[in-house]
Amino acid sequence: MADKELDFRLVPSTCVYCGTGCGVLLQANNGRLTGTLPLKDHPVSRGELCIKGWAVHEFVHSPSRLTKPLVRRNGELVETDWDTALRAVADGLRRTRDEHGPDAVGFLASARCTNEENYLLMKLARAVIGTNNVDHCARLCHSPTVAGLARVLGSGAMTNSIEDLAEAEVILVVGSNTTEQHPIIGERILSAARKGTRLIVIDPRAIHLSRFARIFLRPRPGTDVAYLNGLANVILAEGLQDEAFIASRTEGFEEFRRAVAEYTPERVEQITGIPAADLVEAARLYGRAERAAIVYCMGITQHVAGTDNVLAVANLALLTGNLGKPGTGINPLRGQNNVQGACDMGALPNVFTGYQKVDDEQAAQKFEVAWGVEGLSRKPGLTVVEMTEAAAEGRLRAMYVMGENPMVSDPDINHVREALSCLDFLAVADILENETLRYAHVVLPAASYAEKEGTITSTERRVQRFRRAVEPPGEARPDWEIVCELARRLGASGFDFASPEEVFEEIRRLTPSYAGMTYRRLGTKGLQWPCPSEEHPGTPILHMESFPIGKARFTPVTYRPPAEEPDEEYPLILTTGRILFQYHTGTMTRRSPSLVKEADRPFVEVSPEDAGELGITDGERVTVSSRRGSLEVEARVTDRVGKGLVFMPFHFAEAAANLLTIAALDPVAKIPELKACAVKIQGVRS
Amino acid sequence: MVDAEELKALIRKKLEEGADAFLCLVDEEGSLVPALVTGADSPDLERIRVGGVRYPLAKILVELLREYPGRRFAVLARGCDERALVELAKLEQVDPDRVELVGLACTEEEARACGCPKPYPTRVDLGERAEPAPEREVIEEAEFLPDPERLRFWEEHFSRCIKCYGCRNVCPMCFCEDCALENPQLVEPGVVPPEFPSFHLIRALDMAGRCVDCGLCDEACPADIPLRSIYRRMQEVMEERFGYRPGEDPERRNPLSELGTEAEIKKIMGSGLEI
Repeated sequence: MADKELDFRLVPSTCVYCGTGCGVLLQANNGRLTGTLPLKDHPVSRGELCIKGWAVHEFVHSPSRLTKPLVRRNGELVETDWDTALRAVADGLRRTRDEHGPDAVGFLASARCTNEENYLLMKLARAVIGTNNVDHCARLCHSPTVAGLARVLGSGAMTNSIEDLAEAEVILVVGSNTTEQHPIIGERILSAARKGTRLIVIDPRAIHLSRFARIFLRPRPGTDVAYLNGLANVILAEGLQDEAFIASRTEGFEEFRRAVAEYTPERVEQITGIPAADLVEAARLYGRAERAAIVYCMGITQHVAGTDNVLAVANLALLTGNLGKPGTGINPLRGQNNVQGACDMGALPNVFTGYQKVDDEQAAQKFEVAWGVEGLSRKPGLTVVEMTEAAAEGRLRAMYVMGENPMVSDPDINHVREALSCLDFLAVADILENETLRYAHVVLPAASYAEKEGTITSTERRVQRFRRAVEPPGEARPDWEIVCELARRLGASGFDFASPEEVFEEIRRLTPSYAGMTYRRLGTKGLQWPCPSEEHPGTPILHMESFPIGKARFTPVTYRPPAEEPDEEYPLILTTGRILFQYHTGTMTRRSPSLVKEADRPFVEVSPEDAGELGITDGERVTVSSRRGSLEVEARVTDRVGKGLVFMPFHFAEAAANLLTIAALDPVAKIPELKACAVKIQGVRS
Repeated sequence: MVDAEELKALIRKKLEEGADAFLCLVDEEGSLVPALVTGADSPDLERIRVGGVRYPLAKILVELLREYPGRRFAVLARGCDERALVELAKLEQVDPDRVELVGLACTEEEARACGCPKPYPTRVDLGERAEPAPEREVIEEAEFLPDPERLRFWEEHFSRCIKCYGCRNVCPMCFCEDCALENPQLVEPGVVPPEFPSFHLIRALDMAGRCVDCGLCDEACPADIPLRSIYRRMQEVMEERFGYRPGEDPERRNPLSELGTEAEIKKIMGSGLEI
């Protein structure tokens, strides 16, 4: 018999879901992905994966993949060829720029795309269109981290490494359901706990980690500054601060000491609901440890006080000298595989790569020279939610969205819909059908992670590679190619790249923290930035000797309540989040059979007390309403949430939690308060 | 130490003698990963490495045999790989006529690190046979506990489970299309940690007469659950009751496939089984 050509390869790559950056082997058999194995000698995941990692191949051949460029004709999206589609995008962007100015155009980059692609899109926005209106959904997760930690330490990233958590005597996990959102990091924390590390968990919800915690504190959502200042208050009252560290490596301590004086355990109890004695015990545990690490996530950042929360976290680490050595640190966990990288690449309205500011004359000139252009805008652009606002008001007229789904991810979806409908022109490049395409004038089919080369940067600043394992479906093309083609059609030069590696070479020339990295050096294990030269081994722990700004700055913060507090009409607090078996807006995970088998239905968690008062039973359909919208969903009665609190995952478009959430913004980072808004619940029958 | 030239010569020989491809580990930009070497003059021969890490090669072979019906494969097999292939052949997942083994003995160090009961295949082509180093610590620790404490012991271990299914996914002996672990009648979906003890007991029962004690499940488990020790206990019961060890004797039928109904199996397995 004629034997089929042997075409079987196991291709090392990096998991495409959360920011942990686990190593995977994609099993490519006869041009199709047939499985995933953990990469055994990977420095982070060490041959282990979570359920999403094991399923990372499953959506790649989904029938919902976009395979042909589409343009809207007479209200319908119809198939077209690449040249027509790209010309339509170029015309749409050019016309808007010519008629309304460059700042009438906005770009959403993507924490799902590679560093190279984010770099190219931000270069296109800045050098070709002439606007700094480029942002991405880091705005919705860790913009307060980037802003807050940069202010305090001079660098807005996880200070230590995942492996390093094992060295901690105490780990304080605050606002991170680590097991569900960063499962392998969650297991590393449990592993440390088994070897004697003591855990403090602070979360309004009972989470998997809280059952292993020495101390579990359950504050009311949005009261984070109060209990964080309270912890500092107790540490100072008991003399547990690190005087030597404070004296030699920080400034602003006296002002900070005065500011936290009023946050006595009793006052904190009134604000947060955390019993004073428990707060004291937690402060002692953290304060007395020789090495204590703080792990935090969106429970800290997604608030109108998000930046203040981050500052309060940082103050606590400075107070106890828990920085710059093993087993310590301020460790924000980044939610998406490349949200760190997209920020590093300057897919943000105020910075170029490596956080070089657009309004810094020297930085701007450097990029003008490198890109061979003149007159780069020195004015920081609009953020994600501000773009929505500007679109609704007619100031923003055209948008290019690369690999994002704002129609599910952003707060107050009804408002996002209005805003997108107002645009003169919307182009969307994506791998899968999603809710945002409905408003697009042009749709560009993109290649997935398994179909292209490139780099991504994990939460611990580890730059790692994607490798092509299979061909893109149909006519889909990688985003880096799409952006280059688009730039050419806009008459730009400086986009003639033959490969992502060539793009990376340009990135590292312009970005000191990436300067020493090459594709060859990255290999299968990656390198952690800063890596300033080709001899440099990378940096697992930041700030060992000094901070980029010299001394770290204590920054006092004052408690402010959430933007919307419960009242008579809307008596419950809604907090939103993610679950282990799904990911973000579900475009990939809901097309992965083994994940769908586990969980594919929206729900709202209600406490037994509230359920009793409202006459709601487990499994019943209820209406959840806020001032912005209303939806129907199944109630789960569970003591994971306390009285007065309800929780909804935001993965499910059919009952999108973000119909309810509020677009109230943190004044500094412009992150919306996705973790707290007021709602009411009624049984559907009543 | 395995001699690289000797290994290359063995691989070339297999390829020249009729194997279409040789499955082994190669250095892929700094990581050892399984790969197919398809020609005696393939440049991949220079990238072949031995040691360091293990992958479920038998599982990969099951897929290769299914996907490429006319093809013959050779594989660099350790003791555990061979045991898996022997048992998979009995379960009709592997056609032994289409798979040839080049036997690799594990070093003493590797055997100890793995706690391996038999760190070499039947025929050793490369390396020296090391002493078996079976490890029973965990199960011994648990066995002497009184019932309620033993239950707590296992409950504590299983409470860390995040339902990654890594134990099943990496297991060379797991190949069912419909997995009982995903049957909502047996295990409630979407719950972490998964229901105690159903999830882990179902898997343990499925391992009876099947687990070849390769230990890949332990290596894949992010929760550090001593899975292998449970499955080992299952094999001890199999040996006591039936004198059967999975993966050892290619000629001997698996007693569980000769037994009658599921109820009978449970009766035999259920009496006095303590883990």
